[in-house]
Amino acid sequence: MASFLPPTLRRFAVTTSALFGLAISTAQAADTVKIGLVTALSGQSAKSGEAISRGIGLAIDEINAKGGVLGRPLELVARDDEANPSKGVLATRELIQRVGVVAVVGGLDTPVSMAIVPIANQMKVPFIGPWAAGTGITRNGAADNYAFRVSAVDALVDEALVAYAVKTYGAKKPGMILVNNAWGESNQKGLKDALQAANLPAAGIEKYEANDVDMVPQLSRLKEAGADALFLVGNVGPSAQVVKSLDRMGWSVPVVSHWGPAGGRFGELAGPSAGKVHFIQTFTFAGNASPKASAVLDALKAKYPAIKSMADVTPAVGIANAYDATHLLALAIQAAGSTEGPKVRDGFYKIGTYPGLIKTYDTPFAPGRHDALGPNDYVFTRFKDGEIVAVTN
Amino acid sequence: MLTSILVSGLGLGLGSMYGLVALGFHVTYAVSGTVNFAQGSVVTLGAVLAYALGVTLGWPMPAAIVLALAGCALFGLVVERALVRPFVARGSDAWLLATVAGGIVLDNTMLFTFGKEPRSLPSPLATKPVEILGTGIYPLQLVIPVVGIALAFAIRTVFRRTDLGRVLLAVAQNADAARLMGIDVRRTVACAFALSAVLAGIAGLLIAPLFSVSAELGTLFGIKAFAVAILGGIGSATGVILAGLLYGLVEAGVTATLGSTYTQLVVFSVIILALTLRPDGLLGRAAVNKV
Amino acid sequence: MPYLRSAPVMRLGIAGLTAAALGLVALTAGYSHFVIALVALTTVAGVGLNVLLGLTGLISFGQAGFYAIGAYTSAILTLHGVSFWLALAAATLIAALVGGLVAVPAMRVKGPYLAMLTIAFGFIVEHGLIEGGEVTGGQNGLVVTDAPTLLGEPLAPAGLAVLAVLAAGASLAGFDLLARSRLGQAMRAVRDADVAAAALGFDPVRVKTLAFAISAALTGLAGAILPPLMLFIAPSSFPFSQSILFVLSVIVGGAGTVLGPLFGALVTVLLPEALSGLAEYRLLFFGIAALAVMWLVPSGLVGSLARLLPRGREAPAAAEAGEPLLPGTAAREALILDGVGIRFGGITAADGVDLTARPAAVTSVIGPNGAGKTTVLNLISGFYRPSAGAIRLGDRDLAGRPAHLVARAGIARTYQTTRLFGSLPVVDNVALGLAPGQLWRRARARDRKTADGLLAFVGYRGALDRPAAELPHVDRRLVEIARALAGNPAVLLLDEPAAGLSRADTDGLARLIRRIADSGVAVVLVEHDMPLVMGISDHILVMDAGRPIARGTPAEIRRDPAVLHAYLGGADTPARPRSAPWQGPADAVLSVLDLTAGYGAAPVLDGVHLDVRPGETVALLGANGAGKSTAMRALAGLLRPVAGAIVFDDQRVEALPAHRIARGGLVLVPEGRQVFPELTVVENIRLGAFGRGTPIDPAEVERLLDRFPGLRERAASRAGLLSGGEQQMLAIARGLMAHPRILLLDEPSLGLAPAMINALYATVAELRDEGITILIVDQMAALALTVADRGYVLEQGRVAARGTAAELSADKGLEAAYLGAA
Repeated sequence: MASFLPPTLRRFAVTTSALFGLAISTAQAADTVKIGLVTALSGQSAKSGEAISRGIGLAIDEINAKGGVLGRPLELVARDDEANPSKGVLATRELIQRVGVVAVVGGLDTPVSMAIVPIANQMKVPFIGPWAAGTGITRNGAADNYAFRVSAVDALVDEALVAYAVKTYGAKKPGMILVNNAWGESNQKGLKDALQAANLPAAGIEKYEANDVDMVPQLSRLKEAGADALFLVGNVGPSAQVVKSLDRMGWSVPVVSHWGPAGGRFGELAGPSAGKVHFIQTFTFAGNASPKASAVLDALKAKYPAIKSMADVTPAVGIANAYDATHLLALAIQAAGSTEGPKVRDGFYKIGTYPGLIKTYDTPFAPGRHDALGPNDYVFTRFKDGEIVAVTN
Repeated sequence: MLTSILVSGLGLGLGSMYGLVALGFHVTYAVSGTVNFAQGSVVTLGAVLAYALGVTLGWPMPAAIVLALAGCALFGLVVERALVRPFVARGSDAWLLATVAGGIVLDNTMLFTFGKEPRSLPSPLATKPVEILGTGIYPLQLVIPVVGIALAFAIRTVFRRTDLGRVLLAVAQNADAARLMGIDVRRTVACAFALSAVLAGIAGLLIAPLFSVSAELGTLFGIKAFAVAILGGIGSATGVILAGLLYGLVEAGVTATLGSTYTQLVVFSVIILALTLRPDGLLGRAAVNKV
Repeated sequence: MPYLRSAPVMRLGIAGLTAAALGLVALTAGYSHFVIALVALTTVAGVGLNVLLGLTGLISFGQAGFYAIGAYTSAILTLHGVSFWLALAAATLIAALVGGLVAVPAMRVKGPYLAMLTIAFGFIVEHGLIEGGEVTGGQNGLVVTDAPTLLGEPLAPAGLAVLAVLAAGASLAGFDLLARSRLGQAMRAVRDADVAAAALGFDPVRVKTLAFAISAALTGLAGAILPPLMLFIAPSSFPFSQSILFVLSVIVGGAGTVLGPLFGALVTVLLPEALSGLAEYRLLFFGIAALAVMWLVPSGLVGSLARLLPRGREAPAAAEAGEPLLPGTAAREALILDGVGIRFGGITAADGVDLTARPAAVTSVIGPNGAGKTTVLNLISGFYRPSAGAIRLGDRDLAGRPAHLVARAGIARTYQTTRLFGSLPVVDNVALGLAPGQLWRRARARDRKTADGLLAFVGYRGALDRPAAELPHVDRRLVEIARALAGNPAVLLLDEPAAGLSRADTDGLARLIRRIADSGVAVVLVEHDMPLVMGISDHILVMDAGRPIARGTPAEIRRDPAVLHAYLGGADTPARPRSAPWQGPADAVLSVLDLTAGYGAAPVLDGVHLDVRPGETVALLGANGAGKSTAMRALAGLLRPVAGAIVFDDQRVEALPAHRIARGGLVLVPEGRQVFPELTVVENIRLGAFGRGTPIDPAEVERLLDRFPGLRERAASRAGLLSGGEQQMLAIARGLMAHPRILLLDEPSLGLAPAMINALYATVAELRDEGITILIVDQMAALALTVADRGYVLEQGRVAARGTAAELSADKGLEAAYLGAA
């Protein structure tokens, strides 16, 4: 029959059936326990996605070397969300419904995670955020909350930022320069609350678009309003542009930043003034004396030959948070004794003590407390010669 | 006052770059009635190649720049040969999407070869701001509009005042008749695509030290440049340059007064309004058309 | 298998596909439902875009904007407790309204300008949603977790998939219906020839607005089903790239085809799904795959598949016995122009034109090229707004009314270059002319019969269902006249209907025009062919430089000295033959051996032999369609590949491209002049020297301007603004700049006034006497033979006769068959 078809028709028939087959073939035999990853693997934030994948990859290797979970090996299935919430939602559904993952690990972008969480809650599949800090991701108000996080939380970060600005720079009237997206909104609220708590006025709140190159107009307004310190929230590219714009204005003002600069080569992008920006981190390899840190770094270098120096692990938070998150997830599955979503969710609450890379966790999760890290885990850092180093007061 | 000077400094700078890339759209459109929608990606390509050769491989910058532009020209030729000509020859409009797809492929190829994280192209003109009228500005920001406008007017002069320019116009107006004049139409169109790509590459090199070099540098830039080309009247070089400057100023002005959140909203509304009032662009004119 | 294209088969096919998709929903679960629903929704949106792109020929890169409007309307309403089904209707309606609004600016722009305008619209919607505050949820978007209910039962993803599939099936069927309906044909008519559509009474503004509204409504409907399916929508769900994907899916599937959007949706939705495992490499491979599909099937999947199907049966026109009568009776009203004038910029194109066209009479307007004859027709038919005077039909004043209203008032017309709706079958071209301007008329079987009758009346004998673009020249003229008659007009305006017709065809045309007038129509004829004009006119108006200079019966006009001076010129001083017979070298500068060439399967030229010797002038003659112009194009290299040999200057050139041949000195002055319209006269002339590769001596240009004084006067004006005669002189001047070894003249007298033709042939004789080698093709065979030394007669692509000019002129048989009396 097929041979009667003209070549074009035949080619077409073959392609369509192949496409259909690919699209609707459901999960294969479930001999591995699959973990989904939805993060930006392309575009501006691709480097962060790579860091998260590496952290998970390393943890999975360690877990599998010890026999996996429930006697089955773990397997990572990664999807690119292109930093687009809708793509993230699509990918999450595909991972849950077609691939059949046990849990979904999120990425760098708060807007994407905010979009995924309701889906995870509805489908009763745990979501673990290793990076995005938007407060609402874990504190989402859902009765049945499946969102966990091993990362910073904006509300807490903002309190820390305000405290740091007051303590280090004696700020009395700080201004905000925030990216215009869900992450910026989350911090706008957090910073406002934190300032209110500290009984400080805000000199102004300015926003910029992620691809802006000139923030002088916004910064000029803050300067005219008498800002004596700046809170900066944004990814590495625009954060660097803020620093350059400050340079051009000749305005030397203390900048206390969320952890955006850690996402790339901030030192190179922002130029000589990069070191003036102090930003928050949950983890650094540099200056970290713990044996666990050096062991993980060595393992990373062994597994990913592309890593040669400390500068290649600049988004260390991504690696560290994802590494710990994966181990905690494995413990939760083990504790649940099952791969069913609700049971794994409850498994998180049953985790006891786990000596992780960032710290030793002790019952990190409980109902109503879905964030494993808190203010005590934050450190302030800055760029020095292309590496992130802790600020020593 | 202070702000307005600053705004016009950067507005004119970016505006002249939009104009330069838009001139690339103009050149190919004038000659072949087609455009390369991967123009934005070529902006990136220029910057990325210069970075890779000049910084990563450590070549002397002049050599890196020349080779980067040659690379852009080559890409322009490939686009014409592989993504435009096959479709135009069959009377299909699919070149439109083929060049878009070509841009996607180029962007992602750069992403995986150049690297995922944004870099900074060093430039001696963009390290220390100079103070002009109480405002800090990089020397490069002064150089950009000068180079951009000079280049744009040079091209316009070639088109309008030389026999070579008339050859290009002749090809555009009636390709068959141009063949009868002994003009190699294929080569002319290919050259137009190469030139168009080089213009985009120059824009990429000039703006790279201000922006960060990443695989996404040119995407939005390309769309804006297309808007500029249309706004000016894609058949008019002068119109395209003026529209570029105007666009840059309006964009900077809106950002300064309303904040950058409203920039796109306002600018694109202005475009629709402008096209409603002048359907052939600022300086475009309706072709001679007899019923 | 012609029935494969018929309406019932298409409907059955769509029903079958819908049933198959529903079956697939029943057989699968979970994520597959989601994918099937996405394919279906993309199909619905694609059908919407297809109405714009495929039917109306308008591009939109802003469809994601309508998609977003539909999605947000539905999401916001359901979040506020409105029923999903009500929200669905509201979303469709609001999208349609916005579509109609977008059409307002979109109407005024074309091509890339329209592309940009729609891109801007998409961005405005996206950023508007971002800044929409509480209502739209800003960047964070809206989470829609409540499933819609049907009869109290919540619609599971499976239910939504079924809904989407049904919507897709309905939209495909709707498109099929639309494409076959009068509105759909009006859309294609506006796309193919908007001017002609307006002159048939179709308001292009209304048609395009409807197209935008329908397109937006469908895309909005698709968007409205999206929120409960995705559970989440945000501005980032509707980026510019989504608009590009929609266009890609329609083009890949096949624009204008019914099933194209379905196949396109399969590719654009399933391909990324299939590539999702590639994670970060997905976009790269998607780009490559999209390119591959475009390379493999450039006219779209369905378009390429359809080519494999046999074409529909080509029913010939009803060949009734005897002379069929014009159906219907025209309203007997006179058209009166009273002091009509118009100025363009500073130029007066027409001034003080009085004209009365009476029912049942032929009123002709003649005059030299550029006299303003076509301008008068354009004023009457509403393309130009007169700056002075009145145009009345009966007691209605039509001056300044838009073309579609003029048409509906009962004025129909044809064009110098025919403006048929190329993609529509012949019979539909004519049927569209019935009931001018009605968009909602049901296509009745009677319409086809009426159209058939009209085609028989004008003498069209070709196939009824052939696309008009494929017709030969004579048939185009006839079909255009039939289309103009279909609206049962009171007045018929004919603009140079005989241009390019042979003598025999022109005689047939004369009889047709007379019969039309006899049926009661007031015919206004603009024409250069004097035998035709003098033979059938009841009244003649002569114009020169925009003003009437004489009026009267043919007999009066023939004797009017002013007319003789301005127009007929030295009609009695025919082109000058060579004073002494040509004697020169016998070695040909151009030899054609066994030349075979054509455009498709059947060769137009079949084994042609001819020689031209240096200094000789040779005429190439033959009836319409004999292959004369094809031969010229083949010689000049514009038509490739060709079989046989073309030896020019002892070199084989049959494989060389046109520009190489031109550089060698074989210079063609092409049919229709082909000057560069936007360049000035002098720039055009200078370009002629490009191929010779030697510098231009300014004195040379001066000498040419001396030779063509008409060009000197307009040296700095754009060539496109010149009259036909001036353009012909310019084309010859441009050709001379190349220092031709041989000059090929293709139909130089086409469309020229008699005085102009005489001036032209005087020039050709001069060039000949200066020793330039000339090969000339002209419909005016007798005239061409006057200046020529030798001639060839082509018949159906073969050389039927050859000889000296005198021998050929003397051959009465040949004259009757091919040449006609000039």
